[in-house]
This record gives sequence, C-alpha cells and structure tokens, in this order.
Amino acid sequence: MLRAKYQNVIDDLLSRYPVKQSALLPLLNLAQKEEGYVSQAAMKEIAGILDLTPPQVFETVTFYTMLSLKPIGKFHVQVCRSLMCALVGADNLLGWLQKHLGIGVGQTTQDKMFTLSAVECLGSCGTGPMFQINDDYYERLTEEKVGRILEDLRQTGDCAMKSGPFLL
Amino acid sequence: MTMPQTQKTLTVTIDGIRTQVPDGTLVIEAARRVGVMVPHFCYHPKLKPDANCRMCLVEIEKIPKLQTSCSTRVADGMVVRSSVPHVEAARKSVLELLLGNHPLDCPVCDQGGRCDLQDFSHEYTPTVSRFKELKRVFPKQYLGSVIETQMNRCVSCMRCVRYCDEVMDAKALAAVGRGTLTQITHWSGNELECDMCGGCIQICPVGAITSRLSMYDYRPWMLKRTETICSFCGDGCQITVQRKDDQLIEVNSALGAGRNNGDLCARGYFGYHAGAHPDRVQHPLIRQPDGSFAAVTWEDALEHVARKLLTLKSAYGSDAIAGLMTARCTNEDMYVFQKFMRLVVGTNQIDSSARYGYVNGVRALRRVQGTHRWTVRYEDVLQADGIMLIGTNVHETNPITALQVKQAVKRNGATLMTLESLLPVRSTVSNITTLSRHHLTVRNGRFDAAIVGLLKAVCELQLVNAEVAERAPEFVQTIQAKVAGVSWQTIHEQSGLLQRDVEAAARAYGQSRRAVTLVGQDVLRAVGGEAMVTNLLDVQILTGHLQREGSGLGCLAEENNEQGAIEMGVTAEYLPGPSPLDETGSTAAFAQAWGQALPTGASATLMHVLRRAKAGDVKALFIVGENPVASLPPDAAVTDALDALDFLVCQELFLTETAKRAHVVLPACSAMEKDGTFTNTEGHVQPVRQAVEPVGESRPDWEMFSALSVLMEHPIEYGDVKDVFKEIRRIIPGYGLLGPASTPQPVNADVVARYVDGGFKEDVDRRYTLNQPTPESQGGMTLKLLQSVYHSGKYSTRAKGLMEVQGEGLLQINASEATRLGVKEGDAVCLSNEHGRATVSVTLNDRVPDAVAWFPEHFDEPVRPLFSLTVDPQTHVPVWKTTHVTITNVNDRPAGEGEIHDVMSF
Ligand code: SF4
Ligand code: SF4
Ligand code: SF4
Ligand code: FES
Ligand code: FES
Repeated sequence: MLRAKYQNVIDDLLSRYPVKQSALLPLLNLAQKEEGYVSQAAMKEIAGILDLTPPQVFETVTFYTMLSLKPIGKFHVQVCRSLMCALVGADNLLGWLQKHLGIGVGQTTQDKMFTLSAVECLGSCGTGPMFQINDDYYERLTEEKVGRILEDLRQTGDCAMKSGPFLL
Repeated sequence: MTMPQTQKTLTVTIDGIRTQVPDGTLVIEAARRVGVMVPHFCYHPKLKPDANCRMCLVEIEKIPKLQTSCSTRVADGMVVRSSVPHVEAARKSVLELLLGNHPLDCPVCDQGGRCDLQDFSHEYTPTVSRFKELKRVFPKQYLGSVIETQMNRCVSCMRCVRYCDEVMDAKALAAVGRGTLTQITHWSGNELECDMCGGCIQICPVGAITSRLSMYDYRPWMLKRTETICSFCGDGCQITVQRKDDQLIEVNSALGAGRNNGDLCARGYFGYHAGAHPDRVQHPLIRQPDGSFAAVTWEDALEHVARKLLTLKSAYGSDAIAGLMTARCTNEDMYVFQKFMRLVVGTNQIDSSARYGYVNGVRALRRVQGTHRWTVRYEDVLQADGIMLIGTNVHETNPITALQVKQAVKRNGATLMTLESLLPVRSTVSNITTLSRHHLTVRNGRFDAAIVGLLKAVCELQLVNAEVAERAPEFVQTIQAKVAGVSWQTIHEQSGLLQRDVEAAARAYGQSRRAVTLVGQDVLRAVGGEAMVTNLLDVQILTGHLQREGSGLGCLAEENNEQGAIEMGVTAEYLPGPSPLDETGSTAAFAQAWGQALPTGASATLMHVLRRAKAGDVKALFIVGENPVASLPPDAAVTDALDALDFLVCQELFLTETAKRAHVVLPACSAMEKDGTFTNTEGHVQPVRQAVEPVGESRPDWEMFSALSVLMEHPIEYGDVKDVFKEIRRIIPGYGLLGPASTPQPVNADVVARYVDGGFKEDVDRRYTLNQPTPESQGGMTLKLLQSVYHSGKYSTRAKGLMEVQGEGLLQINASEATRLGVKEGDAVCLSNEHGRATVSVTLNDRVPDAVAWFPEHFDEPVRPLFSLTVDPQTHVPVWKTTHVTITNVNDRPAGEGEIHDVMSF
C-alpha cells in the first residue's frame, strides 16, 4: 500500500497540480520504484487516490516504456531505437547487449539483475547510440563501453560513465 | 451533441452550397445539413471532437492544409470543399493506412453490411495497397460474458473509450499499448465489470466490438426491424428489435430516436430474450382435481373463468371479486382491465404494482401541485444549473434519466446534489454520486430526517423566496416554526448528516436558477413516502422553484408503465385520469362516458385485497402479471390469502410462484408480441409495436378481458387495440398525442394556492415530526434489497443475456466490513435475525456504507424470510426491503455444530 508508506510524498505530489489526475505519472513512478513494477494493487490504489478507474491507470502504464507491468531486474536497460540512434547503430547496441546479457528484448536475466527494453527516442539524439539504465543516461556507446558498464553495475551497483540522472 | 454556444448565425459554403448555421457548428455537421456526407470514424455527435482518424479531411479556403471537419468550427464566410480530387486522394490514403492492418474477415464479421469501413472503402476504392508488411494479429477476446472484441478490426477511433467515459461515465475501457499495437480492452486481464450498456458495441464504426448473444447468427441485411419501447423501466427507451424469421437477433437504438436518443442500458440492450425464455406458458391451463394443470382450449378456459366469476358474483356479490395488475402492461391492457372489473364484474377493488411506492409520489404531487406528472423533462434536466437526487440510485433504476444528469453535470456544468444511501466511490460501474458537488450519505434510510434537514437549512439560511414569504406568510411561518423544533443534533443522529453539509447542499439548491429534483425508490417505497414527497414539494415552494420555468420535481417510475397504471385507473384510489374515485364529479363523468353507473363499493389496495381474501370476503382474485407471493415477505402471508380463495385466475407469461397456485392460468403476450402504448416516467405516451409472433397461444391481455366480457354477457368490445387507444385518448387528458409530448405538464396554480393557504395544515404536524429511530439489533447490520442495473424485477432473470452478466444474488459489503467479519470475496456467510436465517456468498463493493449489506432484489428468494412487512398507514404501501441481521462467517460456526451434523449423517 503506497498510501501507508508515502502519504506525505503523495500529498506533496497532489499539491503541485490544479487537477489531481495530473499526478498520475509521478504516482506511477513512485509505484514502479517501490515494487520494481506497477502491480494491479498499485493501479487500483492510484486510481482510488486520483478518482480515476483502474483501466485509465492501466492504459497509461502501457503507454510508457519506463513503467512495467511485471517485475523487472535491478537495472532496466532501455535502448533507444528511434531514427537518430538507429542511424548510428542502435541495432548493434542491442546486439552487444543481447550477447553480453544472454537475453532478448523484453527479457530479464536469470539473476534478476538486468532487463532489456527497446524504447523510443530519449531526447539524446546527438549522442547516440545510447541507452538509459534506471535514471541514468549512457551516451556514444561502443561495445567496449557496454561491457564495462554492465560489469561495473554488476560489481558495484554503480558506474562512473553515467551522464545523468536527467529524468527524476 | 455539441451545443452551439450562441444564437449568432454564420454563413458557410460547402461544395458550392451556401447555408446558414448557428455559431459553434462543426464543419462536418454543417456539411451534413446540406446533404454532404463527409466520411468519418472518430466523429460522433454524442462525443467531443477528438480528430484522431483523419478520415474527415476537407479543404477550407485560405487554410493551406486540409483540415479535419470534425474538429473545425464554422467561421463566417468559410468556403469548404469536400469532393475535390486532392481531398479524395487524402481520404484514400487514410483508408489505405487503415486497411494496411485490417483483416479480410468481412464475410464472418457481424458488422459486415453495415460497416463504415466497408462503406467508405467502397466509396473511395483503394483497391491497391502499397503495404506488403504482415498485418498485426490479435487473438479475439471476450470482454466478460456478453461482449467480444476482435482487435484486428479496430480502427483506433476511440469512440468506444470516449463513449464509455463521456456519456456513460463508467470509464471501463482502456486503449492499451501504443501505435499500431493499440488495443481496446478492460484492464490487466480482469473480466469486464461495467454498466454493460452495449454502447461501445453500438458506437463502434466497425466490427471490433460485438455482442456475444448473437455472434455469427445473422447478416445484417437479413434482419427485420421493429421500433418499439423497452419494457424494463420507467425511462421508456425506444428500441429497434431485430429478428431473423422469428428468432430474436438483437436490439439496438438509433441516434435521435426516442427519449434515449440512441443510448440504452444493460437491460434494454442485452435483456431482449426475457420473453423468449422456454418456460413461457404456451396454452391456457386449468387446474385438475388431482392438483395438476391441464392444457385446454381458449374457449374452455375463458368459459370456465366467465362461469366461475358469474357464479361467485351472484352468490357473494361483486365485491367478492378483486383484481391486481402489474404496471408492466400496456395502457390498453390496463384500461380495459379496470373497465372490465368495474363494469362487468362490478367492483372497484383493483390495484396495481404502483402500490409498491409510486402511488406515494402521485398522491403528494396531485395534492400540492395539481398534477402528478413531471413538470420538467429531460431537456430541463440538461439545462438545469442545479439538480438534486434523493434516494434514487438513478444510475441503476433509471439509467437513461441518469445519463441526462451526467450530461448536465459533465457538459453543462450543473451542480449536482445527492442525498443517497450509497458512498461516492468510483469504479468501472458508473456511480452518479461521484459527479456530485454535494453528496450526503443518508444513513438508516432516514430520508425523512434528511429532508427535514434541508427544510431547516432553507429556513435558517434565509433561502426562502421573498415573494413566497409575502404571498403565503402563514405557510412559511408554520414551517419555520416546525423546523425550529427539530435540532440538528436529532437530524444527525437519525440520518447521519452534518449541519454544514446539509446547509451547503440547501444553499446550492436555493441559489440555482433552474433546479430539478428527482425522487427515487428510497423515498417512494418507504413508510411515510407521501409525506416525504410533500415535504420536498415544500422545499420547492419555499425556494420559489415549484412554479419556476425549468424547475420541478419528478418521481422516478421503476416499472415501465407505473405512470400508465395511475392514469389508466388500475390503482385503488383512482379512476382513469387519474380522477379520484371518491369524488362524485368524476364518477359521474365516467358513468356518462361509459354509459353505465359505476360500482359503489369501496376500492381496496393490494394489502386490503389480500386481507379480505384471507378473511374469506374476497372469493375470487384476478391477477394480471403480478406475483405477490414473490413480491412480499413471508409474514405478508400471501399464500394463506391465495389458498383461501375459491378461485384464482392468473394471466401470466410464466408459471410464477403466484400462478402456480392459480385455478386457471391464461397465457399472455410479452410486450414484444403485441401493440399498444406505454407512458414513461416523464409522461410521454409512446407506441409499443409487435416485433415477434406471440409465443404459443398467448394473447394480449386486453383481448382476454374483452372476450370474458362477452362471455359474461356484458360486452366491452373493440375492433382492435387502436380502438382502445382512441377511447383512452377521448377520456384521459394527456393522451392526445403519441410520442414525446411537446411541453411538460404545468403546475396548477389554484391547487398550489389552496395548499399554501391552508391545505398544508392538515398533516403538517405529522410531516415535520421525526419518528424515533428503529432500534438496531446488537452488533447487527442493515440488510437492504436493492435494484441492480442489470435487472428489472424478476422478469429480467428470464433473459439469458442478463443472467450471463449477473446470474445470482451475492451479498455486497464493503472491504472494511469484510475485514471485520473475516471474510473475503466469494466466502459464504450466514445471515440471521429473529425471522430466520440464510446462507449467501459475499462480494465486495466499496460503495456500500459501513454496517450495511446490499442484496439484489431480483434474487431475493433465499433472504426473503429475513424480512418483515410494514404497511404505510396512510397510503397502504407495503414496505419491507430493509431489515436488520447478524452476519457471521460460516467457518466461525460455534464449535460442535459441524460434529452433530456428522454424527447425524451416519
Ligand atoms: S459501460 Fe461497458 S458496455 Fe457500456 S460502453 Fe462502457 S464498456 Fe461498453
Ligand atoms: S473498438 Fe471500435 S470504437 Fe473502439 S477504437 Fe476500435 S474501431 Fe473505434
Ligand atoms: S431498462 Fe429503462 S433505461 Fe434500460 S433500456 Fe429499458 S427503458 Fe431504457
Ligand atoms: S533517437 Fe535516440 S535519443 Fe533520440
Ligand atoms: S472524423 Fe474527423 S478526424 Fe476522425
């Protein structure tokens, strides 16, 4: 239950908007962070808080690639596959990741560390190919960099190569 | 519908045709006016413009790019071109894109033949496609038990989602995913829970959402159509019944037709099979000496009934015979029935199911304002700036009236005040109270206290209209004195309402310019219902709303023709009109019209009739479509009364609990099998037309009365049903025209004057004295029988579609009560009180208040023994749908009980 734990955060979020339904994305973000995905219970609860119905919350979740309906790994690797990145090798990037992680797009590694997604433009078109892992961007990627990033994350849970967070 | 904001008119030229349209008109609507049909998918007159499909592109002079005509409003002097080559080319491309992902399944699609995509493809012939990619494939999905989706066919116009949100206010549908992979569904794999209005099916321009009731059974062009009126509730929706040969295929509704203007509820859309249930009585039945029924010919049955009635009449007099009738019959059936009972049998002992509560409202309205009919119409609801709902559950009992309220609030910004016994919790089943600005949850059914609270607030906040205070000082001062004698504390203790909430609602109501009040079953079907409606009319008078243009009060009819039952004279206190039976003037007028003196014996209400039957004073009962055995609790002892009769005739569709006890059962036609008229809750007299052949040998009710009158040598004959209506039209005011009446009934100023000048005094003390609260049993809960949006009485439980949606009665309690009781969804609980016990399963519903449990009245059989009857001392309305019970988890059975059972089974 989000409300039990985050009542203050929720109140603060609601106070920021003239119409409370506008707090939908921040609340979904909160739910995603809390459980690692957006559960049915969370969708129901958020609908209740915002005077929406669960289907309205659900459709919003399905629109955003940063929100997930099932549990994901500790690190969510979101590879931009839109035009600019595609021109500079987004497909190669996906290939390297699949090779290094041994999983396909939409899958999670056995150890629950990494989930791989392909997403639309992340607004970093000048520095592609790029991906976002959780809240951080990693830009101008090469196969070698990808290897180091994954290794760092696996070892230390962090990586100095990140440029971000930009989205909070 | 997009309401033009002002009355300014603009000139526009479309494909060379000049026309004038009101300011605010959309280009696509202006085009339609001059006969230019602009192809479209996402546009719909009921919905706000969304402009997502791009099908409606037109060229507008001075705008460089093509524009979507569904979202562009006409500007003065605008020149629009719809049929020029580059516009058509653009439409062709839109179609090409849509067809790029559309399956070729027209041959198996239920929409084939009436599909916008087919029609536009035909018109714009995009025969070649540049797309070679594979088409997307979605598996077909069942959205619950009666709706199917085929998302391969979806053109993503979002009409269904928008309808469900904007019109129904259910918000049950979701557009899931993005881009070409968008699909319409409920949420996260859950079974669809919604109002089941069928609106998404009807509004889908293609075959992406269809009804499972008639899947693959037909091609649209095979269907024969009949326009008639739904027989499930007082809203009286116009429906189009479609059949293939004699098989009912579907019901739908047309935009612009009827009071419902194309909208329906679950009962109207999915309930059409009720009359087609295999259990229909097919032949006249006569009870044999061994107790069984034997099928006989019509001649034998009618002769038997006629002979019996004549014998009993001559042996015991006319008042040994009485009649009861359901308010589901047509006006013609009712009119001929009361004429038969009065003139042929010679008794005034006639009553109808309007006795269950509607009559409470009628009596109050006639007394205070002179007319029992609504003085407002749906149009006034839409234009009202203040709407008050009192004890209505309107989204369940009268769903189409609810749609008007929803539109008034959502589109036109009306302020909604609700005094209801439910909580404003939103779910994917619409709940009118979630739209309320001032919602007051009335506890313990104490609407009397809530209404006195409103009056107190009106007086104390100086909301009394100055003119009224001057014109009727005594009336105003008396009421002010009365409400001063009731404390806010008392009001709070009884109804649970707080002074400031009542005051806020009263202020909003008093300050409205056009205020409409709708009153529902919680008030009408309660002891003191008449007094409560009278007090609500006092609110109207005090605030100056009673006689104000666009303001008024309407009582909601639950059954489809309760209004007709009052006006046709099948309710104890009224002759047709309704003219009071106890007024010499009116009896004389009818004696003259019918060429025969009226019987002089007293009338008898339902409860009187039953009492007289039990006492042996009534020997024969003629029951038409009513089922008192199942409509009253055991302590009403209906079966004792019926068993004491010498002769019971039931005219019925089914062998109901009551008909099973009859000596003769005469098979009657359902409303789909006959012609006639119904009068809806607003007072519109609407034509009912035969859509299918009568089942078996069944006949329209009025024909049987007429045939009996001949056999009883007192013929009341009519050439056909139209002749009956002609007579009704001659005798009863308000029946001049069929179809929507142009103006609502006016308030009779003389009657109001009589009331405020002294008439009110007669019972003002009683009306303003609050009864003591009924003591609650220890640790008990209130158990309330409630109407469901999916059903209407017991009749709809014969409809297979509705049984798919809701096929059993579950006890509804909120989550915190469930936790308190230690039960979860689906668990069995035991209900018990001094009258009996019952075991039922639980379902959670958070709009149920604490300490309350709801049970759908349509499935009340297992719980009926827990209820007991109270009869209103003034209006003899039988009231029984609330009781107190103790609820226990069956697993918490006292230790030992289970073991005893085990021992005994050895
Ligand atoms: S309430 Fe149900 S049936 Fe009606 S439009 Fe919404 S989803 Fe469709
Ligand atoms: S299901 Fe029908 S109404 Fe709904 S978006 Fe698809 S095509 Fe439009
Ligand atoms: S039950 Fe009432 S609201 Fe529903 S379709 Fe029939 S008349 Fe209309
Ligand atoms: S295209 Fe990859 S970030 Fe914009
Ligand atoms: S009808 Fe105009 S864009 Fe869909």
